Amino acid sequence: MKRPFILILVSIFLLPLVVRPAIASEIWIFAIFGLGLNLLLGYTGLLSFGQSTFFGSAAYVAGWLLKFYGINAFLALGIGVGVGAASAALVGYLCVQRSGLYFIMLTFALNQLFYFTAYQWTSVTGGEDGMPGIPRPVLLGIDFKDPLVYYAFVSVLFLISLYAMKRIVESPLGKILQAIRENEIRAEAVGYNVPRFKLLAFIIGGAFSGLAGVLYAMLFGIVPLEAISFVFSGNVVFATLIGGSGSLYGPVIGSFVFIWLSESVSTLWARWPLLLGMAFVIVVLFLRGGIVEAWSRFWLWRSSKQKN
Amino acid sequence: MSFVAAQILNGIATGMLYALMGLGLSLITGILNIPNFAHGALFAVGAYLLASAANEIGNFWIALVVAPLGVALLGLAIEYVGIRRLYAVGHDYQLLFTFGLALILSESIILIWGPVGYSYLPPPILRGGLDLGFTFYPKYRLFVMVMAGLLVLVTWLFLEKTRYGAIMRAGIENKEMVSLLGIDIHKLFTVAFALGAYLAGIAGALTVPIRGVNPGMGVDMLGIAFVVVALGGLGNLLGAIAAGLIIGVAQALVAAYWTEASTVVIYAVMAAVLLVRPQGLFGIR
Repeated sequence: MKRPFILILVSIFLLPLVVRPAIASEIWIFAIFGLGLNLLLGYTGLLSFGQSTFFGSAAYVAGWLLKFYGINAFLALGIGVGVGAASAALVGYLCVQRSGLYFIMLTFALNQLFYFTAYQWTSVTGGEDGMPGIPRPVLLGIDFKDPLVYYAFVSVLFLISLYAMKRIVESPLGKILQAIRENEIRAEAVGYNVPRFKLLAFIIGGAFSGLAGVLYAMLFGIVPLEAISFVFSGNVVFATLIGGSGSLYGPVIGSFVFIWLSESVSTLWARWPLLLGMAFVIVVLFLRGGIVEAWSRFWLWRSSKQKN
Repeated sequence: MSFVAAQILNGIATGMLYALMGLGLSLITGILNIPNFAHGALFAVGAYLLASAANEIGNFWIALVVAPLGVALLGLAIEYVGIRRLYAVGHDYQLLFTFGLALILSESIILIWGPVGYSYLPPPILRGGLDLGFTFYPKYRLFVMVMAGLLVLVTWLFLEKTRYGAIMRAGIENKEMVSLLGIDIHKLFTVAFALGAYLAGIAGALTVPIRGVNPGMGVDMLGIAFVVVALGGLGNLLGAIAAGLIIGVAQALVAAYWTEASTVVIYAVMAAVLLVRPQGLFGIR
C-alpha cells in the first residue's frame, strides 16, 4: 500500500527533470481523468466511451469564464468539477437505463451530441480552431505562468484526487459499486437501487473528468475541439486499460505511458494515430491485463524462480 | 410546400442509408455480441473503394458491385484473424480492438487517398432530375431510395425466409442453444460480420455520388449507426428502418431552416426519444 504512493511521489519529483514541465503536467492531468473513468470501468464495470463529454464541457465553461470574466482559479476548478458532474448526470441518466453494448453505444452517441454542438457553436467554442486565450490566473500572489509552479499545482491536485478516489473505492459506496460490477442481478436482489448507484458513479467520474478538463485548459491556454471529441474518450480508455483497470493505480501508470509515448511520437509523424491503432490491436491480442498485471506476473515469476 | 416535400424526400434517401448502416451494425452487434467501432471505417472504405474502382474501370455499376464485396472480404478477414480470438474477453478489449482497427483504416485512407476529400458525379443515366409533379427531384437520390429499399428487402427475406437467416436470428436470441443444436457458431459469426460489413460498404458506396468522399466520413457515420441501433434495437429490421427514417427526415427538415444544427439534431432526437422511451422505439432489452 505504501510502496505505490512513495513511487508516485518520487516520480512527481523526477518527472520534470526528464520531460518538459508541460508534458509532465499533462501526465498527471490525464491521470486524474483516468481515475474518474476507472471508477466506472474498473470498479463499476461500466465501459463509458464518452468521458470527453465531461472533460470538454468543463474545459469550455471554465475556460470561457476565465477568459472573459477573469475568475479566480479555485472558482474555475470548482465550476469545472460542477459542470463535469452535471453533464455526467444528464448523460448518465439516459445511459444507465440500458446495459451492455447499448450502454457503450449510448455514451459514444451522446459524446457526439456534445461534440457537434461544440463544433457548430463557433461564436463561443471557436469550432475547429478551439477556444484560445485562456489565462493561468495569479493565485495568492503566486504566478502560475511559470510552468514548474503550475506543475506543482497540478501535482498537488493530482495527489488530492488520488487520495479522494482511494477513499471512495474503499468506502461502502465503493464496495456497492464493486458488487454491481461482480453481479448486477444479485446487487439488485440484495436491495440496492442499481441504476441510482451507477448514476452516482457516473457523476463522481464526471466530476474528476471536469477537474482534469479545467487543468488541461489552463495548462495549454486553449480548449482544442479534440478535448470534447471521441479521440479523448478513446485515449483515456486506452490509457486506463494499458495501465490495468483492475487497480487504483492502473490509470496513473497508463496515462504516464500513454502521454509520454503519444507526446514523443505525435511530433515525429502526423499519421501517428495509425501507430496508435496498431498498438491497440497488439495490446488486445497479446498483452491483455495491462502493465500492472504484467508487472505482478513478472514478480510472481521471479519469486517462483528464487524459491527453486 | 414543394420545398418541404423535397426535403422530406432527401431525408428518406439519407434515412435509408442510415438504416442500412444500422442494420449491418445490429447484425454484427447482435450476433457476435461485440461493440463494432470499426463500422464507420468500413463505410468509409466502401466509399473510397467505389470512387477508385469507378475511376479505374470507368464504370459505376461494376464498381458498385465490386466495392461492397471488397468491404465484405475485409470484414471476413477482420473476423477471421482478430475478432475470433476475442469472444471470451470483455467488451473493453473488444472495443479497443475495433477502435484500433478504425484508426488503422481511417489513417490508411489518408495515406492512400490523401487528407482532402473530393466529389464524384453519378453515372450519366442518373444525372439530372425527374419531375415528380409536386417537385423536381434528382434521379440519383431516387435511385438510392430504391436501391436501399431493395437491399433492406433482400436482407429481410434472407433473415425471415431462409434457413440460414433463421439460424442467424436464433444466434441473436441464444448462442449457446444454437451451437448445442450442432450448428457451427464460428462460421455463423464470420458470415454475420461479412454481411454487416457488406451492408456498411454498400451504404458507403451509394453515398459517394451524393456527398463525395472525405476521411472523416467514417466517424460521422459510426455515431449515426449507433443511434439507429440504440433506437431500433439489436437485430430488429423494422426498428432499424424506422430509426433511420426518423433521424434522416428530422435531419433534412432541420437542415432546411437551421443548417448548423443538422448534425446535432440526430443525437438530440435520440436523446429525446430515449427520455420518453428508455428502451428504444420497440423496446427490446
